[in-house]
Amino acid sequence: MSVKTIEDVEFGVELPVFEPDTSLDNVGAFARAVGWGGARFESHEGAREEGFPGALVPGIMGMGFLTSAIHQWAPAGQVEHVDTVFRAPMLADTPAIISAVVTDIDEDEGIVELDMTVKNTKDETRVFGTAKVRLPLG
Amino acid sequence: MVDLDELKGRFLNTEFASRDLQLQAEKLVTAAKASGESRSEFIDPCDENFQATPAYLCSISSGQHLPIDFPSLGGIPMDGGKAVERFAPVRPNVPMTVKAHLHDIYDKKGRSGRMIFIVVRTELFDSADTHLANIDSRLVVREKPDT
Repeated sequence: MSVKTIEDVEFGVELPVFEPDTSLDNVGAFARAVGWGGARFESHEGAREEGFPGALVPGIMGMGFLTSAIHQWAPAGQVEHVDTVFRAPMLADTPAIISAVVTDIDEDEGIVELDMTVKNTKDETRVFGTAKVRLPLG
Repeated sequence: MVDLDELKGRFLNTEFASRDLQLQAEKLVTAAKASGESRSEFIDPCDENFQATPAYLCSISSGQHLPIDFPSLGGIPMDGGKAVERFAPVRPNVPMTVKAHLHDIYDKKGRSGRMIFIVVRTELFDSADTHLANIDSRLVVREKPDT
């Protein structure tokens, strides 16, 4: 369910499920677009030669997944600040589970704070962070 | 053991790199779509509010990770995370200036030793000197034990 204004937001609510595309082709497209093209993000074999278990998803792409989930939930929201910690590598061609929960609401300013994580299917956290989102006042 | 107060005194809040750049709309669209973005302002260059996503901004750097005279801390700096604070939309084909300085240096101690965190702040300005965004990159270095 999406929200339109700050009045629609409830404390503790979880954002809707967001399924990111972590396919190698998609990860490679992102990496090239941000100027980070290369074996590490575009080839499992090439990444293994660099000592990684497979091609990596750039940490900032994880941030991109999180902000896309926010934008889907709050189509009129503006992400003013987002802070992510890259705890462990995300691998391409591996499902990622995005979750986010509302942790604070400032109804006067129209600001919502979120805690967010990207996990793998073993429930291991890969990326976590926080965001401040400005929403229209009611 | 490296004296962090001494490092802070020497390096914090002193610009160590800058460069000019312009973003390309096509790349902004590709990165936004690959991230799963569906909002027009991020994926349609014809949208009057077309702009870069927060994640794209985090790919912008000054071209230099650390000040040229910053001492080696014994390990290879790893990318520990990124943050972005947006003050105004960042749009393609607009001349911009990127400036970098060290914003913070701190440590965390654990059983395996001390980890040093270096926060590099990259500031983004347009040609009218409007401050568009801050991008913080956290570099993490595992300090080499004294021998």
